[in-house]
Amino acid sequence: MADVVRESVFRLQFPFQRTLGPTVGAFASALADQTLIGVKVGDRVITPPLEYDPENGAAAGTDFVKVGPKGTVTGWTWVPEPTHLHPLQKPFAFAFVTLDGADTPMFHAVDVDSADAMSIGMRVEPRWRSERQGRIDDLEAFVPASDGGPSEGAGDPWSAPEELPVDAMEMFCDLTYVDNTAPATIIWMKSLLEGKLIGQKCPQCERIYVGPRGMCCVDAIELDESHLVDVPDKGVITNFTVITPTPYPGQTETEPFARCSILLDGTDAVLNQQAMLDVDAYDIRVGMHVECVWAPPEERNVDDVGNRGWGVAGDCMRGWRPTGEPDEPEENYVERMM
Amino acid sequence: MPRTENDIAIVGYAISPLVRRTEDTETLMMLPTVQGAIKSAGLTKDDIGFTVSGSCDYLSGQAFSFVSNVDAYGAWPPINESHVEMDGSFALYEAFVRLLQGDIDTAVAAGVGKNSNSDPSTLYTIEMDPYYLTPLGADPWSLHALQYQALLESGKATERDVAEVVARNRAAAKDNIHAQVSGDFDVDELLAADYIRQPLRRHDLPPTTDGCAAVVLARGKRAYDLCERPAWITGIDHRIEPHLPTLRDLTTSVSTTQAAKGAGAGDGPIEVAELHAPFSYQELILRESLGLDDQTLVNPSGGALAANPVMVTGIIRMIEAARQIMENGKRRTLAHTTSGPCLQQNLVAILEGDA
Repeated sequence: MADVVRESVFRLQFPFQRTLGPTVGAFASALADQTLIGVKVGDRVITPPLEYDPENGAAAGTDFVKVGPKGTVTGWTWVPEPTHLHPLQKPFAFAFVTLDGADTPMFHAVDVDSADAMSIGMRVEPRWRSERQGRIDDLEAFVPASDGGPSEGAGDPWSAPEELPVDAMEMFCDLTYVDNTAPATIIWMKSLLEGKLIGQKCPQCERIYVGPRGMCCVDAIELDESHLVDVPDKGVITNFTVITPTPYPGQTETEPFARCSILLDGTDAVLNQQAMLDVDAYDIRVGMHVECVWAPPEERNVDDVGNRGWGVAGDCMRGWRPTGEPDEPEENYVERMM
Repeated sequence: MPRTENDIAIVGYAISPLVRRTEDTETLMMLPTVQGAIKSAGLTKDDIGFTVSGSCDYLSGQAFSFVSNVDAYGAWPPINESHVEMDGSFALYEAFVRLLQGDIDTAVAAGVGKNSNSDPSTLYTIEMDPYYLTPLGADPWSLHALQYQALLESGKATERDVAEVVARNRAAAKDNIHAQVSGDFDVDELLAADYIRQPLRRHDLPPTTDGCAAVVLARGKRAYDLCERPAWITGIDHRIEPHLPTLRDLTTSVSTTQAAKGAGAGDGPIEVAELHAPFSYQELILRESLGLDDQTLVNPSGGALAANPVMVTGIIRMIEAARQIMENGKRRTLAHTTSGPCLQQNLVAILEGDA
């Protein structure tokens, strides 16, 4: 029998695309062209450009000027152990760099060998990536300026092209969670591995929750092991939906399939989102008697069972199949979706 | 001062154990805490007119995680419920405004955060500017180190001043049953520790904490029915500054000053201030921005350095400030909450007890 998972690593990843608009898009387009720009707002040049005047919220306009490429460090900190999100995979500095011609600093990385090489007032210049896509990390990092003199062209006007070459930005979110399993979930996992269904019965309202969730959400009281009850692995379909699969990341289904709500016999407990076996999705009916098809003990595992969603049975259960008994009257179940 | 039906007070509260890691889900942390707060005011769940919570889906890594937290309220028969993707103190603000409508006289506000599942140094890059900061992996430690350095450069504080903040908060936390980090620490030893992000040392960072807290608010006469000495919220205000730290003077907190003015902080002496300063040096910025002098006792609970359940730390400041009135007989206290990088957003509430 597979072991009960007490801790699971959960990796949350998703891609998304941001549209940039006329201000950030202009900055991104300039970056792709190895140029840094700011926007004139009142008597200040703000870099990177902002869409609004931070003083009063008024539209900042598009009076762009070239800034840098050299700048002055106005603050810094040392990052001894970079994470996978950082622009450099070696120790480096994060700094506030005020570019020549700008009145506000920009936050970026400085690539030097040690913290000893960093100081406020030091002059830096960009090191560009050879392949640029119009993102702030096209500028891979600032490095000490080979010549500390003023930048040429800083403050010169810069006009955005009529159609911005870069008007969107791809991002990828990648976060890792280490989730520990709640005690009620562990009890549920153990019962699944044994091929049986259990719930918790509220002593006040006598509702049964399958699987156990450690509380009655109607009476708002805590439930514990003394409230555990065995429940049958047979029931009646109270509701269903037939899903026509559309392709999206992670989708493995290709043909229409059903997900059913099943009211377990002799209880108030409805299991939701259950898969069906041995029946065409379009032949499923409310009132149909079904029974659980358990996986053989050696194939059961609870890797997919966690605190994120009640009633998930991992690979312990293959699904549910019709028993062949005559249907119950459909009208008896119309209010039993949950 | 005679209280009117439009005056709103904290009349009950509960705080869950504040620990490095709990086995419970957010919902399981909320159930005993929310119900405990309701019970502390002598009420049952059916008496509550409005319920609102603060939490963050990114902490749990699950979309709409607050929906299952509703189970903790006993939402049958159906209740009036709301949620903010912010600290519970902002939920309290919403409950305050809801009570001002005058048709209900009780509300519950809660905050919950299970911080132990995720890595703060990567998670919070998501809350930064998505164009200019997130792609660089701008983590809160780095940004706050830059803010701390700006404070040092300004000459307003030294590393020793900041180490003294840590020592004092941790010593004060010895009397706080909810403290996760407490004890006596020598300032010279603190100053000898290595930098995590120069000039931030490990002890300048808040602990990672799982927890939940809830308060019961009541309006007008109802507050007196439920509590011997209600903590009246006589003013509450919330101000926001530009989201990019590079656009602000990081050595001061203009929004805190404005929120304090809006909440009426200057209308009388403040005996106790509970400040939400998760990074040690921020307490010095907040003290100055609030104009607090030595007459005000700051963070007798140990503050966010003693326990920092993100999404809960601010509402705990509300509870601690209220407790000073309800249980310790103080007349006038201040509670502060911050949100966003480098003190971007700040909420200030003034609490008063009857003479």
